Amino acid sequence: MAQATLLSLRDICRSFGGIQALDNVSLEIAKGDIIGLVGDNGAGKSTLIKILAGAHDPTSGDVILEGRPQKLSPPAEAQRLGIETVYQDLSLIGTFTAAENFFLGRELALGRGPALLRLIRRKSMGDTAVKGLDELHIDIPGVRSKTVERMSGGQRQLVAIARGAFWGHKLLLLDEPTAALGVRESREVLELIKRLTAKGLTIVMVTHNLDHLWQVCNRVVVMRRGRKAADLLSSGTNMEEVVAYITGAKAPMQTRSPIGEASA
Amino acid sequence: MSADHSLSETSAPAEAPSSLPSTLARYPSASARDRRAQLMRLLGTYGTIIVLASMLVIFSALQPATFATIGNFRNIINDMAIGTIVAAGLTVPLVAGDFDLSIGYVASFCGLLVVGLLSSSGLSIPLAIVLVICLGTIIGIVNGIVVSKIGVNAFIATLGTGTIVVGLNYAYSGGIPLQLTQSRQFTNIAIGRIAGVPHLVIIMAVVLALLWVILNRTVQGQHIKAIGVSPESARRAGVAVDRSRIVAFAIASTCAAIGGVLMASNLGSGQVTAGDSFMLTSFSAAFLGSAALREGQFHILGTLIGVLTVAVGNNGLAMIGAPIFTQFLFTGCLLVVAVALGGIGRRYGRG
Repeated sequence: MAQATLLSLRDICRSFGGIQALDNVSLEIAKGDIIGLVGDNGAGKSTLIKILAGAHDPTSGDVILEGRPQKLSPPAEAQRLGIETVYQDLSLIGTFTAAENFFLGRELALGRGPALLRLIRRKSMGDTAVKGLDELHIDIPGVRSKTVERMSGGQRQLVAIARGAFWGHKLLLLDEPTAALGVRESREVLELIKRLTAKGLTIVMVTHNLDHLWQVCNRVVVMRRGRKAADLLSSGTNMEEVVAYITGAKAPMQTRSPIGEASA
Repeated sequence: MSADHSLSETSAPAEAPSSLPSTLARYPSASARDRRAQLMRLLGTYGTIIVLASMLVIFSALQPATFATIGNFRNIINDMAIGTIVAAGLTVPLVAGDFDLSIGYVASFCGLLVVGLLSSSGLSIPLAIVLVICLGTIIGIVNGIVVSKIGVNAFIATLGTGTIVVGLNYAYSGGIPLQLTQSRQFTNIAIGRIAGVPHLVIIMAVVLALLWVILNRTVQGQHIKAIGVSPESARRAGVAVDRSRIVAFAIASTCAAIGGVLMASNLGSGQVTAGDSFMLTSFSAAFLGSAALREGQFHILGTLIGVLTVAVGNNGLAMIGAPIFTQFLFTGCLLVVAVALGGIGRRYGRG
């Protein structure tokens, strides 16, 4: 059974001044895909993620979301369309609780009109955040009471990903979700990602850790020098091959989406 | 729910350890370094309150007949009411991470202008007051636009707008104080009492309550607090950062205008520079307040405690017959110590 395509990038180019950060990149993201995006520094991973997040516009090329051409920028537009991003620095407010961070910018409130006149509903926000975390089997004490700056790095990452998954009903973008985490904390984060997969969420995850990638991703996309060097099903490749594409030891493949090949 | 969750300032003391030794006892295995960090956190969190409490004890012991009387405390609170309103207003942009150096000049100009309007234009008292307070709000909005949309550093921008306001002040008054022609009703606003409670104290309480609700119970307050911690994170989460900064400046300037009007009512005349000193006293109070209950964060209740600390100190020094210069030494030292304590609280409060 062919999976439905969620989002297609067609011939995306993006340049910054004279530098071509992305050069004719095409990518098909199917619903339910967990794509690991890898590549050396400066290979174009983060530019690609930022285009998906709406933080950059492509210089040329098309973005097609569920069959329709779509502009994703600014980030608020991408969010409105159900695309959430968890940045490497997490973008949490340290002095806020997990519940407050969950609802930052989207507070549940009484009343209408200007933000100055809308009273926040702390109890509802706390209840919803606790329920949301429960559903993802995330066990963090003090969701309503503990500021996130008092939480461990792993707990913060779980909160940030849960927030993204709560609002990003279509696509979740993760930037280095396990960087800077210990072994046990990384495992918790990877297990959360697996649970999100089971719920049918589509994820694109930038990572340097191929081991972590293999634990959760069904596809590997390798970026090299602004181009897509390889687009593989994780089940049909191995780490050596991926590393060869990353370093350029292996020449870029004529990129066609493995989804297309598989269903053809 | 409120006890475990809310960031509310009122609930903060409930979490407070009752004494230093008991807090340390909760961490029996703590190393000496951890204990030092604990102590520093306590100092950063309770420093100002410790100073305030010590002064109350010392001055009461030295001058039991004059200092430790209800009458004296009523005077202290009445005298600090206007300064508290201005300082609490300033606290809002400070929470958002912005300085506003123009508040003192705005207070001076608004105080002078309301007297001018009442004396020469024949406007009714409420209309003149509303107009002047609206002018304050507009000055704040201009501050906010210059800082957020044009991107001028808040320090420089508000120094600039503040100086422009001084210019307007002199253009309007010629540098000469204005006298009230029909004064009784207007001066009664600041001087009158309801059931023995001075109007000023009631107005102060209302303004403080409103500001507390705005910062702690509204969506806008949540956004102002968020941008004070990390504007970039807030922006990514969808917070309208520029608008929140503009609102914060508008609130500060509005409070400065209210302070100016009350000051004019209290003095019964329009003085050219009467409000200028609010800038320094407000910053002192807000920074002192950041070392009260919150580990180096600005907050409304903290600012009230800050104003109270300075007021009690100055009053007590006067009561024991210390020369006037000691009050400046005291306020200055206190400010430096408070800022240091707030910083210590922040440094040791995390991680």
